[in-house]
Formats: sequence, C-alpha cells, structure tokens
Amino acid sequence: MNQSRRPVFVSGAAAVSAFGFEWRGIGAALKEGRVSFSHSSQLADSHPSILASEVPAIPVSIDAANAKAQKLMSRAAHLATIAVQQALADAHWEDNREEIGFYAGVGASGGSMVELTEMLRASIVEHQFSLARFGSAGLAACNPLFAFQLMNNFTLCHGAILAGVSGPNSAFYSRGNGTVAALFEASHAIAEGDCERALAGGADSAVHAVTWAELKREGYARNGFVPGEGAALLALSASADNALAIVEHCAFGNSLTSDRNDLDKLLMNIDITEIHSVIIAPWGTPARQTLRALTETHFPQASVLNINEFLGDALAATPALAWVTALDLLQTEEINKCLILNAGIDGGIGAVLLGKTSRHANIMEHGQ
Amino acid sequence: MIPVITGVGVVSAFGLGTQVFFNSLAEGRSAIRPIQSFDATSFPTRVAGEVPIETFHAIKNISRPNPTLDHYEQIDAFRDRKVVFGLLAALEAWNSAHCGEREQEAALSIALGLEQAFLDDFAPVFSDGKIDWNAESQLADSNVRIRSHVGLCVDLLGKHLNLRGPTFINASACAAGGLAVAQAASLIQRGTASVVLCGGADSMVNPFGIGGMARLGAPSPRNEPDACRPFDRRRDGLVIGEGSAMFVVESEERARNRGVKPLARILGWGSTQDAYRVTAPRPDGSAARQAMVRALIRAKHQPEDVGYINAHGTGTPLNDIAEAKAIRDTFGTHADHLPVSSIKGAIGHLMAASGAIELAACLLPLQRNILPGTAHHREKDPACEINVIGEQPVEANVDVVLSNSFGFGGQNVALVLGK
Repeated sequence: MNQSRRPVFVSGAAAVSAFGFEWRGIGAALKEGRVSFSHSSQLADSHPSILASEVPAIPVSIDAANAKAQKLMSRAAHLATIAVQQALADAHWEDNREEIGFYAGVGASGGSMVELTEMLRASIVEHQFSLARFGSAGLAACNPLFAFQLMNNFTLCHGAILAGVSGPNSAFYSRGNGTVAALFEASHAIAEGDCERALAGGADSAVHAVTWAELKREGYARNGFVPGEGAALLALSASADNALAIVEHCAFGNSLTSDRNDLDKLLMNIDITEIHSVIIAPWGTPARQTLRALTETHFPQASVLNINEFLGDALAATPALAWVTALDLLQTEEINKCLILNAGIDGGIGAVLLGKTSRHANIMEHGQ
Repeated sequence: MIPVITGVGVVSAFGLGTQVFFNSLAEGRSAIRPIQSFDATSFPTRVAGEVPIETFHAIKNISRPNPTLDHYEQIDAFRDRKVVFGLLAALEAWNSAHCGEREQEAALSIALGLEQAFLDDFAPVFSDGKIDWNAESQLADSNVRIRSHVGLCVDLLGKHLNLRGPTFINASACAAGGLAVAQAASLIQRGTASVVLCGGADSMVNPFGIGGMARLGAPSPRNEPDACRPFDRRRDGLVIGEGSAMFVVESEERARNRGVKPLARILGWGSTQDAYRVTAPRPDGSAARQAMVRALIRAKHQPEDVGYINAHGTGTPLNDIAEAKAIRDTFGTHADHLPVSSIKGAIGHLMAASGAIELAACLLPLQRNILPGTAHHREKDPACEINVIGEQPVEANVDVVLSNSFGFGGQNVALVLGK
C-alpha cells in the first residue's frame, strides 16, 4: 500500500433535503434565509402538529429503488440510495464502480411503524405484553423483511448495491461525529492509496415516531430543535481533473467545551486568519450555543451560517449536508475556504475545511 | 509503525474471560443451549450461544472508583446486554495490557449492533390497537426505554475508563468487528493514535432480536445444540450468539518501550462490498476474495504464507459455499491443505461482535499453537472445496492467520494477523 499522502479532491456531490434533490443552490437558499419547516406528514399520526424539515415526495424519475426494494429500506436508506445515484452522476463516475469506496455516517434503526404496530397489536392484551403471544402471533403479524429496515448499515448497503459500488467501505454510527469519521476514513483511503475514488457522507431521519419520542425523552425536542431528514455525499477523488474543491482538513475529537484550546487543537495546522466563511452544524441546543461561542471568539470576521436553522436536525446527515452547502458556497461566492464545524450531544466536535482547488494543501489529523 | 495487540478481553457463551474462551476452544467444546434469559418456548428459535447468567451478573463485581457505573445502572442501561458485555471485555483487555493513566489518551474503535428493543415497554401506552405517544411522553424520564441507543456502551466505556481520544462506532453489521479492529490498526499505522481500545459487543439474544432473525429465516430451524454446522453438507442455518471481544492495540515500539509483550501483529486488512443483493451474498465470492487479496497485499504476504483461516462460516447454505469459493480462488492449490475453521458452531453468530471474537480466536494458534475446530462439522460438503478442520482442534505451528467477516448487506472484511 502506498503510504504517501495525496491530496483529496471533491469531484461531485449530492444532497437530498427539504430543499429538494440538488446540492447546487443549497448555499444560496440558506443565505436567502429560506426555511424548510412545515407540519410533519410522517409524524402526523404519532406526534401531530410537529414542525419538521422533510424531504418532498421523491420523483419516480430519480428513484433507483423499485417498490419491492423500498420495502426493505428505512427512510434513511431510501434517501441514501438517491444521494448515491446523484453523486455518481455528478462526478461522472459511470465506470469501474467496483473500485469506488463508500464511507457513511448512519443513524438509528428506522423501521416501518405500521409493521411495528401490527406486531404489538398481536402481542399486547389489556396493557400486558405477552411473550408467548409475541412468539406465536406477533412475529407472524409483520413482514418478514421488516428486520432489514432496522439494520442501520443498510443505509450504506442499499445504495452500494443499486449502484454497483463495491470498494473499501464502512458504516459509522453517528450522532454527528460518526459522519466526520466517514469523511476522515474515506479521505485516508484515498490519500493512502486504498482506492482512487470514494463516496463519503451521511443519511438519517429524525422524522420517525420512535426517534422523535427519544429526542423528547432526552430533552432535545425543545429550544428550537426541529427534526429533519436527508442524505448528502461528497464524491472524493485522488484526481484533480474537474475538481470542485479540495479537502484541506478533517478532524474530530471528544471535547466539546467553550474552551478555545479545544478548538485550537482541532484546527491545528490551519491558518484560521484565512477563514471567512463558517458553517455550523450543531446537534441540540447546548452544542449550538457552544459552537456559536467558539466561532465568535475564533472567527469574529467570518460569515457564520447555522444549517440547522434552515434544514432542521437531520442527525447523521447534518454534517454532510453542511459540507455540501460549503461546496456550493465555494462555487458561487468569493471565498477560498469554508470551515464546517459540527458538534453533538455526546460531546463530539468535528472540523472539516474545504478549499478551492487552486490550493493544494492537504492536512488530515485528529485534533484531540 | 506496526500495530500490535497487547491486551484482549472476551465475554462469550463459554463465560467470562479470554482463558475460559481459549480453554473451551482448545477442548473442542460447544456452548449452544436452550435460551435461559427469557421464555422462548413459543419462538421458532429457542437455542443460542447465550452468555451464562452468572457472567452477566459479573457487572456487580466491578470496582466503582467513580459514579459512572452507578449512574448507568440507575438509568437501566444494563437492560441492553451488550453494554455489560462490552464493559466486561474492555476491562479485561485494559488490565491485561497493563494500561494506566498514560493509556487514557486512547482512541476507541468499537463495533456495536443495533439498539436493543424493549417491546414490553409499549404495553402501558398501547390502547385501541395503537401506540398512545402522548401517554408515552407523560412517562418522561431519562431511563433506557423502548430501545437503547446504539452508542450507550461507548458512552459508558469512555466515562468509566476516562478515555480522551476520538471515538469510532462501527455499524457495519457482521463485518463491523473486523472493521473496528482494522480501523484501530490504521490509526496506529498512520500515527494518528498511540493507543486504541477496539473490538465489538453485541447481543441479539432478546425477544425482538431472536424473533426478528427467526422471521428472516436465518437461524437453523432445528433447536438442537448442533443447530449450526458450518461447511457441513447438512447445514441449515446459523445460531445467534452474544458477547464481546475487546483489544488494546498500539505500536510495537510503544509496547516494547513500556515492557508489554505483544500477543499478535496486525499485518493487513481489506474491505469490499458485494454490491449484489440485500438478502444474499454474492454467490461467486468475488468481493469476499477481493477483501482477502487486499488484506494480503497490505500485509505484504503471499497466500502461501497463511497457515490458518478463521472463516466467517455462518452455517447457512449460501454463505458457506460462497466463502469456500472465495477462499479457493484466493489461495488456489494452497487451499487443498490450508486449515479453515469456524467457531460459530460453538458460540453462535455474535453479529457485530463476530469479527472481534473470531480475531480473539485467531490468537489461540499464535499463542498456543492450537487451531480451533469447527463444532458440529461432521460431513464435508463437496461444494465447499476447502480443508475444513473438524470438530476437534488440531495442533499446528503457524505464523500468519487470516480472519474473514462478511456482513448482512454485503460488507466484507479480512484481517491478517502474525506472530
């Protein structure tokens, strides 16, 4: 294996969000202050009147998954399949897909509530759950393929299967940083010569009855937390041909505090005076407040966008949606670099720096 | 920098500890038995590689220098069995590697299975044939309810051991354990971490886990101790297991400097995706083969250098035949004599933790010159043209071993370990 470091370029991208199925234009939409929140259709039965950021109806023309395949998919997996197709098309990667790597941040399981309810209906009598009834009738009441919807690695696998992507890969559970870990690993896989091209990003949905109930229970479903969903990918390459950007930095650590030293460690080797555009992707209110404080102290001159204010919190997808937004801004704005900071409820903090391709610095380090 | 394993911890159906695990494999034992932790009599699947109850309760004996464990106990975190297994295995690995304060800079790379679901939690809020979410929210407290979150084990480990490095939670199904250890080795080789606590923990031995897998038709329909018969002509499905294996990985130089003897070198690793079907492995085994080829290239070894393969070997009709083809295509005529075994017949399929515990099994040949047997493998399948070790382990002096893990959904990983 070639251990020498190579630059990692962004050759294409994809975004599936409440704004639609195009990554180009997301930056402008956010700059315009476009907000995507509406009453959730997916939570209408379980949690009526909740505002959410939901992906619009998926046009058949862009949906690679037929009805049969969709029965095996969680919502996140379905959104990911679209992002995979879009990213490959955007990068014009039609050939040799068996060599393309794929690294994704994935969230919790997200099976059909209809199936779950049928299972419970057959297993619960007068507020008593019966193991005997569950074993004999509850299991039979649901689609046998329900289990596939629950496997969170399938958020990666469905897209890979439909597109024939079979290079090195990993799915990382993400409450934010797992998605950065996916980019970190994909970038290293290219830099170290494991593969020449790779997809990296995340897909998830907070617009699910069980997930939303958990968010409420854990105390996050307040203070402006809006459940979102989406999928976003960067198509990364060792080749600079037609590159849209370069991954200048990717790092993450466990110490989300307002102590500026923690962020300094994460941004080691970066000249922060060159950064005039910052996108933050916090997971929950405490993380939002901390990231706000950190950006104010570190980047007082920078323009700061909080992606969650416009697209809600799409959990494992949010950091990747932020990267794609940064990519869009690099194409359309007079900026050379854009820093994306994410933070999660688990104390994780991540930093990704995308730059215009005229710059060939390429540093990838853990910060903390 | 060469990554080496300096500590190992195991929780399995054999019980608590690596030596129990090694001794049981060395004696050719099997631990598949009727499920004890819940009443499975109405379930299609009623046997498992279940961790003994007394092992589960070993959590009570762990010293508690800080309030972390008490807090997690209070919020019912130990309802999720893999949280307990992961902690027990991690502590054994940590102690066996003589880790101390300097190792608290460690990164954590762990494979974890899905959330554990607690369907009985729905009962109080299930009315008129549906879930009353309003009533559910009235029960609001911070305890683990309805389902645990995937990262619960990591949260506990990080706090209990006061780890400060970055965390990777691999969620790649049955390939996750191998990928998590490969990740750890990568971090060491790159110099981006000095120490990594890595491995996997999982349990699907609960009503929803056992029931869901049974509904898929993956487990053997026979509820016998020999339900899982890897590479056997009569094989008819897997057996679900549970447990954990954790490792401390660091550079060879660092281990030497602090006077710790490595148990094995992690020489190579490689991953691929079948990109075939959601419900079945690629029949020609080509992507699995490619994972092995990548691992051997990274390890700078030829196929002939490998002296033992710990197979994924689930005991399902489709997996075993595809894996046998992959091994045959990778190793050519060397496969005629290359010993291959699967320990899933003995302890079951640990899902996300399977790759980790099977790497632990690979330490047996490197440490004791014993190749584990393949429990319940009695009749060779002519369609599996590889040299499968039978039920009894065999003695052999090997320098290089390879472990395969293939996940639901088509994720494959192979790792190469050496003395």
